[in-house]
Amino acid sequence: MSAGAQLRATCHARQAVVKLKQVGDFAWEIPREGGMKVPGRVYLAPAQIDKVRADKALEQVCNVAHLPGIVGYSLAMPDIHWGYGFPIGGVAAVDAEHGAISPGGVGYDINCGVRVVTTQLNAGEVRSHMSRIVGRLFEAIPTGVGASKSIAKLDSKQMRKLLARGASWAIDRGFAASDDDAAHCEEQGCLAGADPAAVSDRAIQRGCGQVGTLGSGNHFLEVQRVDAIYDEVAAQRFGLFKGQVTVMIHSGSRGLGHQICDETLHRLSRTFHSFGPDYAALPDRQLACAPLSSPQGRAYLAAMQAAANFAWANRQVMTGLAIDAIADALDVDRQHLEPRLLYDVCHNIAKLEEHEVDGERRRVLVHRKGATRAFGPGDPRVPQSYRDVGQPVMIPGDMERYSFVLAGNEAAMTNTFGSSCHGAGRVLSRTAARKKAKGRRIDKEMRAKGIEVRSKGYRTLTEEMSEAYKDVADVVDVIEGAGVSRKVARLVPLGVIKG
Amino acid sequence: MVEYELPQPFEELDHTADVGVVVRGDSAAEALARLVLAMSQLLAGGGDVAVAHSARIEVDGADAVSVAVDVLRELLFRFDCDHQIVSRCRVARFDGTGASLDVMLGPWDERAHEEGTELKAVTLHAARFEREGQGWVGQIVFDV
Repeated sequence: MSAGAQLRATCHARQAVVKLKQVGDFAWEIPREGGMKVPGRVYLAPAQIDKVRADKALEQVCNVAHLPGIVGYSLAMPDIHWGYGFPIGGVAAVDAEHGAISPGGVGYDINCGVRVVTTQLNAGEVRSHMSRIVGRLFEAIPTGVGASKSIAKLDSKQMRKLLARGASWAIDRGFAASDDDAAHCEEQGCLAGADPAAVSDRAIQRGCGQVGTLGSGNHFLEVQRVDAIYDEVAAQRFGLFKGQVTVMIHSGSRGLGHQICDETLHRLSRTFHSFGPDYAALPDRQLACAPLSSPQGRAYLAAMQAAANFAWANRQVMTGLAIDAIADALDVDRQHLEPRLLYDVCHNIAKLEEHEVDGERRRVLVHRKGATRAFGPGDPRVPQSYRDVGQPVMIPGDMERYSFVLAGNEAAMTNTFGSSCHGAGRVLSRTAARKKAKGRRIDKEMRAKGIEVRSKGYRTLTEEMSEAYKDVADVVDVIEGAGVSRKVARLVPLGVIKG
Repeated sequence: MVEYELPQPFEELDHTADVGVVVRGDSAAEALARLVLAMSQLLAGGGDVAVAHSARIEVDGADAVSVAVDVLRELLFRFDCDHQIVSRCRVARFDGTGASLDVMLGPWDERAHEEGTELKAVTLHAARFEREGQGWVGQIVFDV
């Protein structure tokens, strides 16, 4: 048996024991057992259950339920799959005073997130220029392995300023769509608790040449067309109309965030048992965590918040570069595009928020690992311009089909700590995708569908091809069916750059 | 001490979202060298790597798997900062409490290595480094 097959067989045997009780059309509960402090709750369509059982993701939902201070449920969104410690798609809120903070509940790519920039261009105006637009974007924004020097490498002092200020650092340097970019980022593009002094020199060193770079894997920049509107009122608030050209950017905190996570996991995986019996009893060392109130917990929170600010600055720089590149390719002034940041969301983060727990308002730390904040209508944390319809939620799909803009619903506030799904999730491994693509030219296939694509290498295109991903519409339909968020618009790709 | 150079045999682990490698060696040192060079092959996308300079890597650890992970963590950090890829590797010491390696590195090349894979981190997820029959096996999953 090959190593991969052996790994899958072992997982299948262990996963089969997780009990699921249906509690709604799209909601399933995992009853408390053993050391679980809360039950699990998973949002899935019945047809998705068997696929999710194929690996250890449901077992990880149970493991997360052991976290000290966890409240409510250990949650998983419909794009759940096997991750490190936490499942991807996992959400866990812990008490802000007595709970634990877990780097595994955030992930290596701290504040990996998505933003959508709207323009006033119609797809018809750009279609014949897409080859040039994608070419200019690819020149302006470094992608892939070794990507660096999008802007001049920053020194340590400049980096520490960036880490304290987030998106505004970039906006002040002219990298912006319009004058309300910061207001249209989750947390205004800056977590105030960030402490640059908590970030190691090695993390600074790893990230200082990577501001304004896209990265690789599933990260992308897409020029898109609004292809369907589902909620006219929300679409109008969000400034979306059919046929409109938008730009979606999916990227994170690059080497800086990876290093912070790596260093913290390295330290905590050796020491977390010492924080007390609840910590020593954790069923997976990848759940390594520290009390939020401990020096170790506070240090990670401060460094993680700084990395989140780096990610916002990174996406903000790319926003400015992308707008200039598109304007240049069209040979127009950037004002002609009338660019505006619709919204920017994080989907790998832990944030201090207030939520209702068992009938009372409590301050909790919400870990969202491959899950998106999705606050409902009326919430004061949603920008004023969107408050009556709910927070915009960006859900990227694969590079050949579509992505969605959703809006947060009231049910998110009562059921999921204001959280929604974050993407499609893979259905094929990278090796399986490459095998399936053998002998094919994915770039030519995409061009035949009217999608211009540029990537650093051909391997990325094969690994990221559409067939490697689940249909994101199935994921979105579940989260809408569960009432957590609702569809506002669908965006289809016109041009893509990848790492 | 045997010096190993690119390319060395490795098996790619069929992991859904990320990239994993499995290597085997007659000795623990051979398996560790092959893990190091498997990571190089992923970063270089199978392209040739020139030899430019040498470096000594030393790590301490509690067991063989954490030592192996820490060797790769250090080399990945150096790659991300300096864009240097290991092309040859000689393991001077590897005993479960630490390792000492002499490596030859060469520069990452945008054209020659365009099929390379960006690796965010070396994880403990499904990590193995242990005896298997008469030899040793090492398994690492990289976050991509």
